[in-house]
Amino acid sequence: MDRWVHPAIFFFIGSLLLPFVKGKAKKFLILLIPVLSIIDVAVMQAGIYGSYQFLNINIVFGRVDKLSLVFAWVFVIMAFLGALYALHVKEDGHHVAGSFYIGSSLGAIFAGDYLTLFIFWEVMAFSSVFLVWYRKERRSIEAGFRYLLVHVFGGLLFFTGMMLYYYKTGNFVFDKIFPDNAGIAEYFILAGFSLNAAVLPLHAWLPDAYPEATVEGAVFMCAFTTKTAVYVLARGFPGFEILAILGTAMTVYGVFYAVIENDMRRVLAYHIISQVGYMVAGVGIGTELALNGACAHAFAHILYKALLFMGAGAVLFMAGTAKMSQLGGLYKYMPLTMIFYVVGAISISGFPLFSGFVSKSMIVASAHEKGRLMLMSWMNLAGIGTFLSVGLKVTYFTFFGKEAEIKPKEPPKNMLWAMGLTSTLCFIIGVYPKVLYDLLPFPVEYHPYTLPHLSEMLQILSFTGLVFFLLVKKLQPEAKLNLDMDWFYRKGARVFMKLDERVISVVDSVWGELYRIVGLNLLFKNARISYGFDRKIIDGVVDGSATTVRGAGSIVRKLQTGRIQAYIGLSLFLFFLILWFVLRGM
Amino acid sequence: MDFVKYIDLLRKNMKTLKKVLIAYLVAVVIFDVVLPRDEAHAHYWIDKVFAFWTVFSVVGCFLLIKIGKGIAHLFLSKDEDYYG
Repeated sequence: MDRWVHPAIFFFIGSLLLPFVKGKAKKFLILLIPVLSIIDVAVMQAGIYGSYQFLNINIVFGRVDKLSLVFAWVFVIMAFLGALYALHVKEDGHHVAGSFYIGSSLGAIFAGDYLTLFIFWEVMAFSSVFLVWYRKERRSIEAGFRYLLVHVFGGLLFFTGMMLYYYKTGNFVFDKIFPDNAGIAEYFILAGFSLNAAVLPLHAWLPDAYPEATVEGAVFMCAFTTKTAVYVLARGFPGFEILAILGTAMTVYGVFYAVIENDMRRVLAYHIISQVGYMVAGVGIGTELALNGACAHAFAHILYKALLFMGAGAVLFMAGTAKMSQLGGLYKYMPLTMIFYVVGAISISGFPLFSGFVSKSMIVASAHEKGRLMLMSWMNLAGIGTFLSVGLKVTYFTFFGKEAEIKPKEPPKNMLWAMGLTSTLCFIIGVYPKVLYDLLPFPVEYHPYTLPHLSEMLQILSFTGLVFFLLVKKLQPEAKLNLDMDWFYRKGARVFMKLDERVISVVDSVWGELYRIVGLNLLFKNARISYGFDRKIIDGVVDGSATTVRGAGSIVRKLQTGRIQAYIGLSLFLFFLILWFVLRGM
Repeated sequence: MDFVKYIDLLRKNMKTLKKVLIAYLVAVVIFDVVLPRDEAHAHYWIDKVFAFWTVFSVVGCFLLIKIGKGIAHLFLSKDEDYYG
């Protein structure tokens, strides 16, 4: 096919139509958007599309190759599953924010230059924060602001790197960077990418914000931001040793917190760090098997992590809390939710016949193949922690264990369908990995179902289970908050505020007082004279013009509804209008 | 739902269930000892030790729980309204 349609278009335009339709048509449209994007990706051919000259800079909207396609595939599939899960949400703004978030993620993975990538990168942050804010609780609003500030910081790192890169090379072409050629520009870009991938120590925004997002929003968020970052790392920085080491550290760090956390969704959020760690390590190892593994794992992970967030979200939605210290014995009341959660849990833990078994093992095997036994052992330790925290601890204390007073019902049908479909996909990938392997960027010679691998995983999973049941009392969830790197900026901000209160504001108020006494008096006198002059003489000359302006002002005031979604809608509309004019002129 | 009944049935027969699971664990270890070693892929000492991952998992899981909970109680855990 010669003509290429950017799949993001469906999300951007489709979601803006949402406020104009009602009832069943709205639900139909919510599902139609991702379906159209799936068809679009299915017919897409490799090539370079949407390439323009802009101020002598070459910008590319559509770099379609195997690497971008594998991510596009899972993004559009996830968009459909997430839309189905969120079908009952009444607020249009929530759907619009979700669609812009997904659309900009697709924009980022097809971008062929840093400039385009940067724009979509920022739209991602600014649209996803609404999925946190729509929870409409004080904690969420605060967490949303922190999320935004951290991502703005990450964006600035990326932007600095991008500008230094332009200074060095004279272009914005985004392609593979070799570790030996990397200078300060490339490392700034790497730092910006790493922040979105939640690479240590730039990770604290993730477990801070995701558990405070809406039930439906968290399902989207766990899929797109970190995996877009994995994509750009795989595209730009394969073979960087620092990624292999930090990635492996992430795998263990994430499960460490997952073992001690109390909130179901916080356990899962920390666990994303662990899982993305495998992918980052795979990128760092940099062989064909490792990069295939990183992509395969991103694909499988998006599905089962979303499934887990759907399960935990369903519990939160129906029970009103996701804190395990207040839950227990839910298998009687939410059996289907439990089955789907368990499918997600055994997929992520790497049980044979489920998707984690065929994806995670590629990365572990690539470490083995390169003789990186240390990396391999740490990853397998993280594998133990995965099953221990997400598989056993959450399942046991939420769905079994001591029965709590809360007796919720099963969630709405659309949520159950979304979970059921996602579970099915996890199973299909597990038993028929070829469907996934065929999408990967390099030819796959790897076979997951070998006897030694089967034996290795069975030992790890079975004996982790044994130790869990021996030490289950030790793992009792506690209603506590665990400190992490966000301590530095959350407490640091407070120090700054104190400094502001005690020193800066004192200086400011002394200065203000001085100004009031000396400067303002003079100014008032002056103003009184010129006001009289203006009213009596000037307005008298151009009679009525002031009245007209006042009338126009009241119309503008009506446009300013004070609703943040209206502003965003309007500014995005203007943004695309300008973009269209710019593109048309070239 | 029938499914809930099955789980209740298992919970009532914990003793039998435990015996079955212990037998399963033994079978897992035996499987690793008897399985034909894949010489082509067994490059390193890790691949040649019998039941290596059994020992690794028991020790690793034990340490994860002990160290995790230990550090949490030592200084990581704060009250839920710590940040206000």
